[in-house]
Amino acid sequence: MMNSGSVKHLAGHPFDRRDFLKVLGWGGAAVALSGCGNGSVEDGKETVVSYVETNDYMIPSISVYFNSTCAQCDAGCSITGRIREGRVLKLEGNPNSAINRGKTCGLGQAGVQHHYNPDRVREPLLRNGDQGEAITWEKAYALIAEKLNGVSGEEIAFLTGGVSGHLKVLLGNYLDSFGSKNHFVYEAVGPAVLRAANKKSYGVEMPRFNINKAKVVLSFGADFLGAWISPVHFSQQYAQFRKGVDGQRGVLVQIESKMTLTGANADRWLVVRPGTEGILALGIINALGTATGDIAAAVKGYDKARVSKDTGVSAEQIDKIVALLKERTPSLVLAGSAAEGYAHGSQNAAAINLLNQVLGNVGKTVEAAAVVPFPQMAPATGNTFALKTLNDGLNAGKYKVLFSYAANPVFTAPGAMKFKDNLAKAGFKVAFTHYLDETAMQADLVLPLDSALEDWGTQVPEYMAEGAQINIQQPLMEKLHANTRGMGDILLALIKLRRADDYKKYDDYYAYLRAAVLQNKGALGGGVADDDTFWNETLSKGIIKLASAAHALSGKAGAAGLSLPAPSAIDAQYPLQLIPSVNASLRDGRNTNQPWLQESPDPLTTIVWDSWVEIHPRKAAELGIVEGDIVEVTGKNGSIKVQAYLFPGIHPDAISIPLGRGHEALGRYAKGYGVNPFQILDMVFDKETGELALHETRVKVSKTGSRVIVVKDEGPAGGSQMGKKIAARLPSDKVKLSEEVYYVG
Amino acid sequence: MQRFLRLSVLLLGLFAAASSYAADAPPPALTTEDDLGPAIEQPIEFPHFRHAGDADKGGMQINCMYCHTYARRSLVAGIPPIQKCIGCHQSIESVRETPRIKKLFEYWDAKKAIPWKKVHDLPDYVRFSHERHIKRFIFQLNRPVQEVCGYCHGNVKEMTVARRSKLLSMGWCVSCHQQDHPVTDEGGTPIGNQAYWYSMHKPPVDASGIIKAKGPNDCSVCHK
Repeated sequence: MMNSGSVKHLAGHPFDRRDFLKVLGWGGAAVALSGCGNGSVEDGKETVVSYVETNDYMIPSISVYFNSTCAQCDAGCSITGRIREGRVLKLEGNPNSAINRGKTCGLGQAGVQHHYNPDRVREPLLRNGDQGEAITWEKAYALIAEKLNGVSGEEIAFLTGGVSGHLKVLLGNYLDSFGSKNHFVYEAVGPAVLRAANKKSYGVEMPRFNINKAKVVLSFGADFLGAWISPVHFSQQYAQFRKGVDGQRGVLVQIESKMTLTGANADRWLVVRPGTEGILALGIINALGTATGDIAAAVKGYDKARVSKDTGVSAEQIDKIVALLKERTPSLVLAGSAAEGYAHGSQNAAAINLLNQVLGNVGKTVEAAAVVPFPQMAPATGNTFALKTLNDGLNAGKYKVLFSYAANPVFTAPGAMKFKDNLAKAGFKVAFTHYLDETAMQADLVLPLDSALEDWGTQVPEYMAEGAQINIQQPLMEKLHANTRGMGDILLALIKLRRADDYKKYDDYYAYLRAAVLQNKGALGGGVADDDTFWNETLSKGIIKLASAAHALSGKAGAAGLSLPAPSAIDAQYPLQLIPSVNASLRDGRNTNQPWLQESPDPLTTIVWDSWVEIHPRKAAELGIVEGDIVEVTGKNGSIKVQAYLFPGIHPDAISIPLGRGHEALGRYAKGYGVNPFQILDMVFDKETGELALHETRVKVSKTGSRVIVVKDEGPAGGSQMGKKIAARLPSDKVKLSEEVYYVG
Repeated sequence: MQRFLRLSVLLLGLFAAASSYAADAPPPALTTEDDLGPAIEQPIEFPHFRHAGDADKGGMQINCMYCHTYARRSLVAGIPPIQKCIGCHQSIESVRETPRIKKLFEYWDAKKAIPWKKVHDLPDYVRFSHERHIKRFIFQLNRPVQEVCGYCHGNVKEMTVARRSKLLSMGWCVSCHQQDHPVTDEGGTPIGNQAYWYSMHKPPVDASGIIKAKGPNDCSVCHK
């Protein structure tokens, strides 16, 4: 091709810019033509790298599959990874797991984006002022040993998310090695209140809920299709429930203050005044009229008129629910996170569980769960009480060394807790992490972890679907980054520094895991198989299924100690109740840096890549707010500015902001998108369990004057289907929930 | 004058552009004519003629698929893992000290992959399956391996490192797919027991009962 110099030379006089562009244009076209014409075969441009050594089954362009366990949430779904040319490409469910039976949710699908995430930490980092300085692992281990030197066990704290399996055993032994009992297991949105209530009502923390065996499900804010406990498992049970037992299609009634995905699928959705779920449950027991003894006495005061006044659910609706429950047995009543999140959350859950007992569901649709016969491997489930205890300890300056793994309290703790400030009082903070999240940003030493698709491990799910099972986690491909380590390997290296003799026979965590599993070969169903055969079979299946007994279930808790407060009066200064909603893909925000999850529209509002506040249209009209208005949500503990979305599926006296967004760190796909409602939560705790009451925050909403176009999938007119009246949307203030007539526009 | 000059410069530019286009590659023709690609320098100058060549020319007559073992099982023929080379060469003492073999062992000892350059590289929107072609021509029609591989790769058994010797354009592919290939034996039994899809019209049957049909012609066969 010609350049401008040669053209100038040929023409013999200066060329103006226009002529130059003309010639350049023709030349460019020619280059383009010769570039894409028949000479499209590129010789010797790309490198084709073969393996040095390989297994016979590794054939280029042919996929191989390995089983492992999804680590996106704690449900413990088994997955099968498709691997081609040594790279994991896609995750699917493992059909042999009773938990997910070959399915995954959107969150699980995004697991590859956790693995390939460009913002993963790749080197151990040591704080140097504001910067992280890359150091070697040897130096990191030596530093930890140095910092632990002369520190007593009480001055060491280990904060984790939910842990189970051999990692929990190893972690316990590590803490033992310096006599520390300070293992804080923290889960920001876990069903901790429910566990305590279940323990009282049924004798076990987590029974099995047989949605598929019920003919009617009455769910008090349990979003079991979206984000509650084990949603993939429940979704499949729900499908069976809808096909029906004995030809009777199951009926789902959802009672909540803010519509969840499950609520949107319900046959009947009832809006209830926030916090009055327990009152409604007792009202239903009263209206059923079948309770006797102390239960009858306890519900005596809950007549329909009072319950209807307190909860906002009409007497007619209560009658309908009662008729439904009488007509169809067995039924199932679920107490979800929406009922738990109050200062009287335990009482709410107990009242709802009592309804199950009165209906005779205990033992039928609420069943004892199978137990893994190794109690030391059972999951340590997280709660917010642990965080409060840790926070108080930090505030008192009790801890000199703090380890943190799989938890991000700087992001998820209520701002009023001042966790970030208190964290600074710990002398030396070590974060085991995949990304520089908010908590890792405060650490003195950051140790980078292998991704869940590179690491070894065992996991025991909290919610057991059928028989007991132990899930195997194994690498689906070689490590992407040379200097990351598995959590098990790090713990093993650390514990070797203290108890070298006990652990010197294990080269790495893999060796430890293999030895630990083979040691119990008999109990794990290995029978007479030789070690290698059993181990290879175990890895190939990805699940160890166990024969085991179930917990004993008791269903005679009664109504002792049950007392529900009257609905709280509306606060004049902060008249609205803030419901921080747990969204199916973002949950507590640990996966927000996976762009597929940011990009997948919220199932109800269809909004992407941003936060929003749901306001009832009637309330919005009162406040003069329209969709897209940037409003300021102010509570006692600060305020956030967020776009408004008018949503009829919410109680008029409540507003809702989804959790998970509003990161100040965690990488390019999370940082700076949306707002974080955790920051403005009021410090109200459940009276019995000490759990943070997530739904107890009072706020007011005011306009800021600016307005944006809400980025969402639905059309500008909402669900109006371009005026075709197929699925017309009716403002909820016009819906008469007591009349089941479908509005057809 | 000024105007004329400008025009002439423009035309000159056009001519230069056109000639650069012509020089780069001739227009496609529906032929099977050879179209020699550039010689490509590889990390190791692998002597195909020594391994696959005829015995009378000092070759070992090794079947192509002995090393390119993925070709019959996969979309891609693949480059054999170094393990494969070493499998034989660790016991061939006679050439052990030659420069190329020394280099091979250097890679092996360092456990480093050899960065071969790709010689036959189709655009990403073309899905060519080695497996299907080999199944048809080698295993069903029983044609000699080197002949079949040679349809596209040329006479590799006489080369050192491979060099492209066919055009590998779409027109070139189609020129073969347009020809009539036997799809049944004499009695009319489908070759390899694989029933053939004749499209809209069943092709004529010749005197001996052999049905011939053209190769697959749907866009979606290659452009998924």
